[in-house]
Order: sequence, then structure tokens, then C-alpha cells
Amino acid sequence: MNADFKITPEKLLQYDEYVEALDFLDEDSRFEYIIDIGKRADKVPFPADCMNEAHIMHGCMSKVWIVHELNGGAHFFKGQSDAIIVKGLVSIMTGAFSGLTSEELAALSLDHVRGLNLGALTMQRQVGMMAMLKHMQKLSRRADIAAEVAEVTAAAD
Amino acid sequence: MDGIMNDISQTSNLTGHNVEGGFDVERIRRDFSILSRQVHGKPLVYFDSGASAQKPRAVIDAMTEVLQDQYTNVHRGAHYLSQTLTDRYEGVRGKIARFINAPSEDQVVITRNTTEAINLVAATYGRSFLGAGDGIVISAMEHHANIVPWQLLRDEKGIDLKVAPIDDRGVLEMEAYEALLDGNTKLVAMTHCSNVLGTHVPAKEIIRLAHERGIPVLLDGSQSVVHGVIDVQDLDVDFFVFTGHKLYGPNAVGVLYGKAELLAKMPPYQGGGDMIETVTYEKTTYKDPPHRFESGTPAIVEVIGMGAAIDYVTAIGMDKIAAHERALLAYATERLTAQPDIRLFGTAPEKAAILSFIQEGIHPFDTAATLDRAGVAVRVGQHCAEPLMDRLGVDGTLRASLAMYNTTAEIDVMIEALERARKLFT
Repeated sequence: MNADFKITPEKLLQYDEYVEALDFLDEDSRFEYIIDIGKRADKVPFPADCMNEAHIMHGCMSKVWIVHELNGGAHFFKGQSDAIIVKGLVSIMTGAFSGLTSEELAALSLDHVRGLNLGALTMQRQVGMMAMLKHMQKLSRRADIAAEVAEVTAAAD
Repeated sequence: MDGIMNDISQTSNLTGHNVEGGFDVERIRRDFSILSRQVHGKPLVYFDSGASAQKPRAVIDAMTEVLQDQYTNVHRGAHYLSQTLTDRYEGVRGKIARFINAPSEDQVVITRNTTEAINLVAATYGRSFLGAGDGIVISAMEHHANIVPWQLLRDEKGIDLKVAPIDDRGVLEMEAYEALLDGNTKLVAMTHCSNVLGTHVPAKEIIRLAHERGIPVLLDGSQSVVHGVIDVQDLDVDFFVFTGHKLYGPNAVGVLYGKAELLAKMPPYQGGGDMIETVTYEKTTYKDPPHRFESGTPAIVEVIGMGAAIDYVTAIGMDKIAAHERALLAYATERLTAQPDIRLFGTAPEKAAILSFIQEGIHPFDTAATLDRAGVAVRVGQHCAEPLMDRLGVDGTLRASLAMYNTTAEIDVMIEALERARKLFT
């Protein structure tokens, strides 16, 4: 990762919105806010056939699935969990960090996760949030490589 | 010290239950300063003692005293500090022996924890006396610590691991257990009290049936030693293992009790200092039990802390602790079963104050997070007992494990938090 690399601020508007909303709330309200987001996320369709081993994120107390799409060089994520709170957390993470290139995703750090100020609030501590970010970073790198391979293969044909 | 060690005979009615016979929960609570702290702005309700119990001031004081004024290595050196600390350290072995009524302190091996004690038996007794085709009987409610060491032995020696089933209440099916004690079975290794369901197994009957066939029995007493009086001679158990940190003592100290004739014929576990008599490049001779099984510098400070923990619970009385916990269990069971959405796992007639449950329609993680917001610490997940979760047909449960310092008022706090979870998530 290039240490000097900076993410264009407008790429993080959704992240900033979450930071602002969460910052405004006291701890109890923040807890309920995450639950609300988790409940709302239930209404957004998550492909049922993606809730499988191929998309599961290991190491969580609850199950977490993350799907990914590469569109015009930017990476988009959707998350799902069997626990409402975790569903809220993964929705925040995938919402906040979608639309970035893999280089931009790689530039995200623990500070960005800390900035959301979710760690102290729930049992899914910063470690878990950081694990989600790392998983998204891994998915984006993998997709970039797959896209490159596809491009080279197509050129060779 | 104005806590329980000072005067256990006073009584109080602060919590509206139980103070007969000198058991005063408020007085006990004062010895655990952590119990007066807050979590998320709420008073801490610590219902996770089954994972690890809190430590009374007497334990912390004993450890601090050693570190500040008495510390050195033990079993080495002729100097004053080493001799006095060795005496104090070895004195704990005697306390442990008396606590479980072992015939001799030479039958008390100090380990790091229960897990190490079971691994020790598997690696020494198991490797030496079990071979291909021999069987080991465990139950369907074992902690991983009493499954995996036997699986390692199975994979190494080709032994057969047999699982005695439980019924839907979490009671061991004795007929099925007896049927497993066939000609091939060479060892029974079973929990004395389930860490998930709280079930107390009928240990004396289990041991009697095994002994009739010449089969030795290991009991995992990690939970049972905390919730009642243990008498290894009355049980006639061959190996009894437990850990200090669940018994209000520090981490890193466990116990393996063994019958003298069994320990005597077991080879060493790990090689190193402290466990040898003489060492030459050609040949090394080993000490007698228990030191044969204790290599290297032990957890000196922690062992002394465990001695203080045993003094502490002994001063209160394990029978009184058990009576208090029985009252808590009855109250908690009544309140939980009165909830419309609580499914309780483990309803054996003989059980410890361990309550595993789920809230129907709510993920255990969500319930646990809501309890956490209310200051209530419970464990959530599989409790190191994945095969038992499969038997129960769930991914995980919540577990409230109660201890001598808990109160009925704290159970009410948990029930209120469960009601809040119901409102939030359904």
C-alpha cells in the first residue's frame, strides 16, 4: 500500500454521513440506530443463493456473508448476517466503503473504522469491524486480479 | 479486612433471600470490588463465572504479598526466601488435598488448568495403557477439553471414542452408558457437571458400574468443584481434574488428582527441570508423583493465590455456597420459564446454577448484546461444546452461570433486559 495515497473526499460521503449520524447520538440511541439499520437491511434483498460457504466471512460469533460486484473499476458490497445488530454493522461497513477502487480500499485503516465509533458500543468490537474491512479489501484485490486475467485471456484470444 | 473472612456469621436481609446459617451474600460481594463497578453506565451483573469467576480480595492480597515481599523460585536454593516460599507453595498442595478429601497431597498434581490435566492423563496413562481397539467412553455433554485430547489419542493409537447419550433434559442415559462399558472399554472420561446444561451426572453410579468391569474413571470437575462439596474418596474416582480460575482463584493453575497406584505407574508428561532425580547424558531418573508430572518453574504466585481461594470458599463453606446457588437457580428458572419466548436447555433434576437458553426468534448474539447494554455479562456461543450444540439442534445459546456472589435482584435485571430485547428485535 502506498502510504501517501489519499482517497478523494467525495468517495467517502456515505461514510461521512454515518460518522455524523453516529456522533450525534448517545450510546443507547446509537445501539438502537444500529438495530434500525439492521432491520431496514432486512428489507433490501440479499441474494439468497449467496448465503453460502463461498460468501461467508469466518471468525464471527454470528454468520456474516458479503457479496461483491466490480463495476467500472469500483467495488460494491452488500452484507448480510443472521443477527440483526451484526446486519446493521455490516450494512454500515458495506455502505460506507462501496464505490471505491481496490487501491482506495487498501488505503482504509483502523482509523476509519474507529471513526465510526461503533467499537465501544457493541460486543462486535473493532476487531470484528476491522475483520469486515479486511475481508472487503481481500475481495476487491481478488476481483481486480480476476478482471486482469480475463482481460489478458481475451486479448490472447 | 471487613469482608467474609473476618466474620461469616453475621446475617443480612439486603437481598431478601437467604441468610440462614451465616451465608451473607452482601458481605461476600464486598470482597469482590469488581462487582461494584459499572458497565455502560449500569451496575455490573456478572453471570459469566462458568467461564471464569471473579477473585476475592483475599486472593489478590495473597498474590500481591508474594510478589512484593516473598518472591523467588521454589524447589531450588537453600536460601531463606526459597525455603519459606517453597513451604508456602507446597502448603497449597495440602490445602487442595484436604479440599477434595484426597488421601495424600502426593496425589495432587499441579497443572496449568483442566485442559492440561486431561492432556496429561491422555499422554501418559492413555499412551501407556491404551492401544488399538480399546475404547474410551465420554458423554454427549463434554467440553472440548474432554473430547479433543482423546481424539488425538484415538488418531495416534487407533482407539475407539464412544459417546454416552443424554435425553432431552440433559440427563445421562444410564442404560446406554452401561451398554458402552463392553469388554473393549478401558477408560471412562466424563464431565461431573456440564458447563452448558449444568447437569450433575450420577458420578458414584457411573464409577461403580465402570469399576465392576475394572474400568478406571476420570471426572472433569471444572464446574462441579465450584458448586458443591467434592470428596474423591467417597466418589472412589480414579482421576479428578479441575481448574483454579473458576474456583475464584487465578488463571494458570489446575489440578489433577489421581489414585496413587495409577500415578505411580504413569510415565512423565513433559521433561525438564524439577521433575528429575538425576540427569546424565546416558540416563535420567524421575521423581515420584506428583513432582514427576511437574516440569519447569510452576505458576508460583498463582498457586498461592489458589490456596487463598480455597481458604476463602472453605471459610464460607461449600455446602452453604451450594445452598445459596440452589436458591438462585430455582428463582432464575422460575423467572426465565415464565417468559413467553425463552427456551431453556438443561432441565435435569440434579443441576448446578448454569442456565443455557435462547430467546425464540432472536439471534443469541442480539440478546447478549442487549444484556450487555444493561450491564449483564453472559456468555454466548457454543461454550466449547460444539457436538452438544448439534445434539441440542442450535448454533449456540446464551449461558448465565451463577456464582456465590450473585443475587435474585441481579436475576431481575437480566429478565428486564430480556424484555427489552424482545421489544427491540421482534
